[in-house]
Amino acid sequence: MFKVDRRLFEHFDMILMLFICMVCIMAFFNLYSASFPHRAYGIAPYIKQGYFFLMGITVFIIVLSFDYQILHSLNYPIYGITTFLLILAFFVGDSAGGAQRWINLGFFKLQPSEPAKLMLVIALASFYSRKEVVDGYSIKELIVPVALTAFPFVLILLQPDLGTALMLGIIFVSMTVFVKLRLSTYGILTTIAVGLGGFAWENLLKPYQKQRIQTFLDPEQDPMGHGYQIVQSKIAVGSGGKFGKGYLEGTQGHLHFLPERHTDFAFSVWGEEWGFAGSFVFLAFYFALLFWGLYVAMQAKDRFGVLLAFGVVMLIFWQAVINLLMILGFLPVVGIPLPLVSYGGSSLLTTIVGLGILMNVRMRRFHNVPSVD
Amino acid sequence: MSLKLFFKEIEDIEERDEGALDLLKKRLLGAAVVVLVFFTIIILRLWALQITNGKEYETRAYSNRVRVREVIAPRGHILDRKGREIVTNRPSFNVVLIQEDSRDVADVLKRLAPVLGEDVSQLWKKIREAAGTPKYLPIRLKEDIDWKTLAYLENHNQEFSGIRTEVQPVRVYPYDDLAANVLGYLGSISKKELAKVDRKIYSGGDLIGKRGLERLREKDLRGEKGKSYSEVNARGFEQQLLKSVEPLPGSELTLTLDVDLQQIAESYMVAGEKAGAVVAMEVNSGRLLAAVSAPSIHIRDFIGGISYKNWQALLENSRHPLINKIAQAAYPPGSTYKMVTALAGLATGAITEDTVLYCPGFYRFGNRTYRCWKHSGHGPVNLRKAITESCDVFFYQVGQRVGVDALAKYARKLGLGQKTGVEMEHEKSGLIPTREWKKKNRKQKWQEGETLSIAIGQGFDLVTPLQMCVMTATLANGGKVYRPQLVEKVVDPEGNVVERFQPELINEVKGMDRYFRLIRDGMEQVVQGKRGTARRVAIKGLTIAGKTGTAQVVKIAQYRHLKEDNIPYKYRDHAWFTCFAPAENPEIAVTVLVEHGLHGGSGAGPIAKAILKEYFRNRLKTEEK
Repeated sequence: MFKVDRRLFEHFDMILMLFICMVCIMAFFNLYSASFPHRAYGIAPYIKQGYFFLMGITVFIIVLSFDYQILHSLNYPIYGITTFLLILAFFVGDSAGGAQRWINLGFFKLQPSEPAKLMLVIALASFYSRKEVVDGYSIKELIVPVALTAFPFVLILLQPDLGTALMLGIIFVSMTVFVKLRLSTYGILTTIAVGLGGFAWENLLKPYQKQRIQTFLDPEQDPMGHGYQIVQSKIAVGSGGKFGKGYLEGTQGHLHFLPERHTDFAFSVWGEEWGFAGSFVFLAFYFALLFWGLYVAMQAKDRFGVLLAFGVVMLIFWQAVINLLMILGFLPVVGIPLPLVSYGGSSLLTTIVGLGILMNVRMRRFHNVPSVD
Repeated sequence: MSLKLFFKEIEDIEERDEGALDLLKKRLLGAAVVVLVFFTIIILRLWALQITNGKEYETRAYSNRVRVREVIAPRGHILDRKGREIVTNRPSFNVVLIQEDSRDVADVLKRLAPVLGEDVSQLWKKIREAAGTPKYLPIRLKEDIDWKTLAYLENHNQEFSGIRTEVQPVRVYPYDDLAANVLGYLGSISKKELAKVDRKIYSGGDLIGKRGLERLREKDLRGEKGKSYSEVNARGFEQQLLKSVEPLPGSELTLTLDVDLQQIAESYMVAGEKAGAVVAMEVNSGRLLAAVSAPSIHIRDFIGGISYKNWQALLENSRHPLINKIAQAAYPPGSTYKMVTALAGLATGAITEDTVLYCPGFYRFGNRTYRCWKHSGHGPVNLRKAITESCDVFFYQVGQRVGVDALAKYARKLGLGQKTGVEMEHEKSGLIPTREWKKKNRKQKWQEGETLSIAIGQGFDLVTPLQMCVMTATLANGGKVYRPQLVEKVVDPEGNVVERFQPELINEVKGMDRYFRLIRDGMEQVVQGKRGTARRVAIKGLTIAGKTGTAQVVKIAQYRHLKEDNIPYKYRDHAWFTCFAPAENPEIAVTVLVEHGLHGGSGAGPIAKAILKEYFRNRLKTEEK
């Protein structure tokens, strides 16, 4: 069955693997500190996340074993299964914080909105590679990708999970702009986006979501509420200074001043304990990984490969940027994790699958590599 | 490295023929720029937070996690001269709310109110009153809870987030209201006071001396707060104690007062429901042995803050319990002022020991008739008889001869008309009029007839009971005017004497020993003589010298014809009695003023007598044997 070409191993990208491993190792150590003291959680998050990393390795290898071209043909089944899970989450989902987000699989609580992000990347890459328009897409040609995006977007918005829904929008915009649009299409899309945005603010946003955005504009005004999280995060990172307080020595995190410190605010813990120097090293690796991802896209053998690699990089990049800007006080608290770093199985596995796809594109960058189908 | 390879690839694509795929790949350059820009923004932001403002955030992180709690110092005790405790402390427990630690204040208060036996709205009121103070500072919800409530709260502390109990020493008064108007009381520091004091020493909710010695000796008594620094988590639970500084108790104040004398005087004045003042002072030092103001405040009402109702009642009480009548109220001295007139007469040569004046029961001056209290007259009167029998006519004439300004000069020499500088707040200076004073303050010329009233202690004359006692002591000790003092010593918690009583001479009247002796002879006869006005004060085995006084409250004669008992209370004369003993070698001076007490001898005399009896008790006993 596994008729794997020897050249696949030769083309295995050790540099990409190095970046991934470095980031994952640092993230795991950070999570150990962030969930300290561990007895407060039952099974400590770092242990659970450890299992997810192990699962991730398996998943990564499985993803590598198929030619990424298979995603072309499996595009719609994947899309169907994921949206089905999103719908399922409404009926059997566990709720947290008023949102129906999780499907309890017993051993694992699946958050279908996470794979939905990657699913959209695959769907759009597939569509844009099949329908190639050199001088820019017209608005008519965008109906299908808009629909592909809007469906899960609305489902996730209804959970409600504003942050993840916006992520889908950002992926759509990134990939669509990347494949080039006509000037007129930009104008029409912008008008529609502004109109929808206004409508959403008035009618769709929950009060707590509005609160978050308003609080962001003036965080000190509400220091005990949502602004509290941003203020505490800034204090944590800022107090790290040049070289940090030392591993496991961060007081903001361990004394619970930092909220969500093993999930969305995990990097605050890193910033506090390792200071500017450590943060710089970490971010250097993280962004090197992203650049390398773009390099992978650059060397991909076909349009699908380029779009797939680009989409995966953008998926990780925008989540990271939004999360980091939030942690550093530049954006409101939107509930976007830092991929690979924040605790959460769904996010981690989705990201690893994405990185597997990236490696897959990388390994099969030569035209004469036999494909599975 | 990845960047370099990336740009090299871009160059490669540039060189190649531009296929559709390469066109798409070229657009990756834009993506790389976007990624790079955001990477730069994030790094710059990290620089700003961690390098530029790192120190500031470090401080904020510290104040986040370290809670400084104050431990209130036990306030210094107050003892009487024999070491008996008049004011001490006991621990009390207050219930406080730390807003920062409470996730749901409304819910906690709702459940807490029945435990404390309070209304929820009352608790909210306390929180509103504390608006504006930092959320990590405790707000006092209820003071001095009982042991049962304390035990309940300690056992259920998990259920009341943000609620704590703090221990605070409160005052205990073993002798109840003893000397309450002199000692004063404590109260919660007001916002106004807080603005004035050192914020390092005081914080909201602290107790501070509000009146009397508690206020004047605040610095000695308060001690120094202790502080504990503990690390807390975001929920406010203390994780570990980092450092603690023990509180330093306040210094111990030993007063010159004698509980026995004070109690006796108060049994007459306070328990006897009289209004007025009693002062007993050591003649040769100025130590105050008893200082009573009646009616007294009820010190217990002030523990934990006086209620509005009680405070209003104090303010509206027509007998003014809030005024310390020892020094804060001035009265016409009446006949007790005749010693001043006598001294002025002798010192100016207006009269001598042998001068005899005739008293027919009245004295005509200008077109007015000035009456002697004894309408039938005293007949021929010399100085001694004039003092003994308190002949008004004699002193009218002396006053007329001396003039108002000379009277004032000697009054002032004896300590009248000026503040004594005693440790009491708002001391009155009284009033000893002169021609100039009247011209300046009343814009009128002095009427010679007024001098006659002044000579017998009426008219404009006003003195405080304390001044009268100082004057009496000065007459007794031959001219030394001592500052009356209340504090014998201040001892710090380590036992070092910080301050010890030193007699303080305000003034010394020299070269008048002979005159003083003459006046003292007259005063001795007031008590010891057959015709003295205070014969009833005499104690067997003790020679007392004194002087009665009756100060008119109203000038109108409309009540004069009434029997004394029928005169309305507020129009009755004030009764003075001032004395010293033993007459041959004076030790103690006692002054009694009873508001509306009618006659000095009967209204005020017995109180002075009781004090003297107690003071000389041991000596009188041995003499009886």
